[in-house]
This record gives sequence, C-alpha cells and structure tokens, in this order.
Amino acid sequence: MSNEIDFDEILSKYRSDPFDYVDVCATHTGTVTFKVVEGDDVQAPSGEWLQIPGTALYEINRERNPKLIAAQTNGVVSTVRTELEGRFVEAGERLITIKHPLKKKEIIENILKEVLYLFRAPERAKYFFALDVQSRIEKKGARAVTVDQGEEVLTMSLMKRDTPIYYSGERGVIHSVYFKPGVSVSQGEPLLGVCAPEKLPLIQKIITRVKADWDSE
Amino acid sequence: MIPPTLDATDMSSLSLTTDDIRRQSQQDLERRQQAGSKLDVEKIHRYGAFVGSVVERHRSLARAMDYCRELIAATEGSGRSVRSGTVVFADSLNRPRGRFDRVWHAPVGGLWGCLIHANTLLESSRRFVPLAVGVACCEAVRELGGTQAVLRWVNDVLVDGRKLAGFLVEGHTGPFYGEEYNLIGFGININNSCFPAELAGAAVSLAEVLGHPVDLNLFSQSFLAHLSFTLGLLYFAEDELLQEENQGQDWHPLLSRWRELSDSLGRQVVYGLDVMMKPQYQAFAADLSVDGGLILKFADGYEKIEHCGEIRYL
Repeated sequence: MSNEIDFDEILSKYRSDPFDYVDVCATHTGTVTFKVVEGDDVQAPSGEWLQIPGTALYEINRERNPKLIAAQTNGVVSTVRTELEGRFVEAGERLITIKHPLKKKEIIENILKEVLYLFRAPERAKYFFALDVQSRIEKKGARAVTVDQGEEVLTMSLMKRDTPIYYSGERGVIHSVYFKPGVSVSQGEPLLGVCAPEKLPLIQKIITRVKADWDSE
Repeated sequence: MIPPTLDATDMSSLSLTTDDIRRQSQQDLERRQQAGSKLDVEKIHRYGAFVGSVVERHRSLARAMDYCRELIAATEGSGRSVRSGTVVFADSLNRPRGRFDRVWHAPVGGLWGCLIHANTLLESSRRFVPLAVGVACCEAVRELGGTQAVLRWVNDVLVDGRKLAGFLVEGHTGPFYGEEYNLIGFGININNSCFPAELAGAAVSLAEVLGHPVDLNLFSQSFLAHLSFTLGLLYFAEDELLQEENQGQDWHPLLSRWRELSDSLGRQVVYGLDVMMKPQYQAFAADLSVDGGLILKFADGYEKIEHCGEIRYL
C-alpha cells in the first residue's frame, strides 16, 4: 500500500467518468443468444433476499441444457458482442458490458480497494468470522481488531462443510468487511480489506475527501 | 510421535477392527449386487475401500476432531502421512461441540468419532461429502430396524422429528505437507438415552426407537460399510463424469439416494445460516439443485438456491 496518493487525480478520474464498466462473461461453454441490445436499462437482483433475478442478459445452451443468465448489477448495456449471436463460445468469453453508475459509497469503496490489502475468497461459498475474531469484533469493533499472518480469521461454509480460513497478507486492522453472513461470495471476490494500523489516518483522509468533494449520493 | 491425548485403545468398549469393516463392506456389496443395482457397485466398493483403513478406539477424548488434527500434525511431523480412511472412535467426548459452538452431549453409549479423509476429490464432488455421511448413517439406521429414519437437509438424521445423528465436516490442511483433509465428525445417539434438559424432546437414540439396546459394534460396522459405499460413489461419479459420453449427465447418483431418504422436500421451512440463533426467512423446500443446493420457493413465486446453512420444519 502506498502512502503517496494523488487525491486530485483519483477524484478527477471519477468526476469525468463516474461509472464502472462491468464485463459479463460466458459462465461456461455453449451457444449464446442475447436478450438485450445496446442502450437497454438492466436491473440487479432485488427483493429482501435478492430472490428476484436481475434482467435477463443472455441464454447459453450446452448439451440441450439452456440457462438464462441475469444481470448482477444495474446500469445501461454499453456493448453487446452481437457477432457472437448464435455462436459457440468458450467459458469466460466477454459477451456484454454494462455501464454501472457509481454512488458516492461505491466510489469510496473502489478507492479503498486500491489502497487496502484485499483478502479474497478461495472458493464460492458463504463466510463468517472465526469465533475468536467474532468475539473480538463484538467487543471492540472490526477496525480495532488486528489480524496476523497465519491467524484463523474466517470459516468458509459450503454444504455444511466448514473450512477454517487462515489469513495470509500483511498484518493489519480489519478496515472493510465485504461479505455478509449468509450471502454467497464468489471465488476471488474480496472478503476483507486490511491495512496497517499506522496507515488508518490515510484511509480516513480518503473517505473524508471523497465525502467532501462529491456532491451526489 | 503419538499425540498426548491418546488413551489406551484396548480400554474402549468398542472392539471394531479394519477386518470387521471390510467383511461388512463385502456383505454390503453382495447385497447390492443381488438387489440388481444399475450402478457398477464393485467399482464403487473399490473406490470406497479406504474407509476404516486404520481404526483407533479410545475410552475418552476431548474432541475427536481436535485429536485428528493432532494426529495429522504428529504423523506428518515424524515424516509420514496419516492414512486416508483412518477412523477415530471415543466411548465419550469431554468437550464435544456442534456447529457455531453449539452444545453437543456425547456420553457413553453413543457412537462418537471422526473419519480422516485425504481430500482427493474435485471441488464439484467435495461439496457432497456432508450428504454422503448423512445418507450412510440413515441407511445404517434403517438397516438395523429404524425404518422411520429420514434426512433433513443437509444431513441431520431424524426419527419422528427428533435428531438421532448429526455430522460436522471440516476442511483441514496438514501443517507440514499442506495436504488437504476432510475431517468427518459424527455423533450418533445409539444406546445413550439421557439427554440434557435443552435437548429433551429434540433428541432420540436408536435404542429408544427400536425399544431394545443396540450392538454398538454391529452398528459401527454397518455405518462405516455404508459410508465406504457413499464416499466411493463420489469417486465413481467423478470417474463417470470424466468419461466423454457422460458429459451431458448432470444428476448425481448420491442426490437420487438422498432424495429417497429425505423428508425435507415439499415442506414449509425456516432457513438460516445459523437457524437456531438467526433464522432468516420462511420458504417452501421445492427440490434439490443438481449441485445439492436446496431450492427454496417464496410465497411470491420466486426461487432461491441455498448451498449452505440449515433448515427447520414449520
């Protein structure tokens, strides 16, 4: 993590283009049929338990097993690779890009993700804090809890198979928690944002600066 | 080097040996062959033969899973590897616990222990290990006469709504070689019939269900023979899936058996990651997904698939 952050440059970048460009890729191999065109508004999953699927983006058909893939984020469809319509694609092929308007909170999170050490999910599963870490968080709050290399910090739970997850990364305080107990996290998504205690003032400066300089929510 | 918690094994009331498990597995294989199973049961049997490769019996342990972790560390520390399929039994556990640090009562009379499985399964099969142990136990209970035994998603074994067995599967990485293990903890109420006040009415033993004491050795053999089959089935199904002609097949044979044994589907349930302390929502348990998730249907018609957590019936 660098101590040198050019706030003006970062903020001007977000001011000139306050969007995330989210690539939607093929979930697996198969033949693709698009359900949206460029310029369409798309919605993320909704409902109290996110049980209402987002807007259908494309259908992928493998071995006569069609699967409808829905948007995970809201925004406007900025690119559709129409040349792939009806074609067989490999897993991971980029199909659609969604232009997602960023909120102030998301901008802060995006900047923090650049400066914090991100501890990522090893597998798609649900995660919760290890009992010891949980009790320390309940007593003092996450930002007062320091985690060390090799410490059992989380439990990964999948089909009632629990696996202790040991922290690997620089020693620091838990600044950001990116998972919610009971909500699945995909492989590679960040679980925790950690920073060295002496760097906390810098993080706070980023948050204050964005809050002050950014008008809309 | 032997872990410091090791007791003298000959003090245990169990006398089960590796040979007993092999003999029972062979009988189980012949029974399945006679029943005309469509699966290649001989191949499955071979895949699951590692179960019970070593049997340790103890009069008392603090926690069987902790002991297994110590055993792995001690064995690796001496330059060897723990044999996959090692089963550790204890007549009683002094500090048992369930998930989320829940109280678990493990006195003499029950079957308490842990199986060490060197995790050589693909990620897509690994998730079925908890289902495999539930199916094995439910089949063993039925085989000994507890025909009312059913499975509640994920793997609780119930009789008339009361819990007869619970399982805890934990991933563990060996400290020296980085080998990955599944520690399959089991707690099965067999002849123990006195439960603490907080479990009264919610727990039941097999002896209570059958109305007579149960031969613990006999049940252990049966349970491990079935577990040998269901874990073997995971390897067998992987093998089948990897054959080119089976790429389109997506329904796992273990899930078919789970559905036959379960009473969870078609019921109104409450769901939560820790459903006792933090129930999250109520829904209708519609079906299993192809990867073992529970398909829950809301009153408004929408569906959600859960891959972890637990349910209670309404």
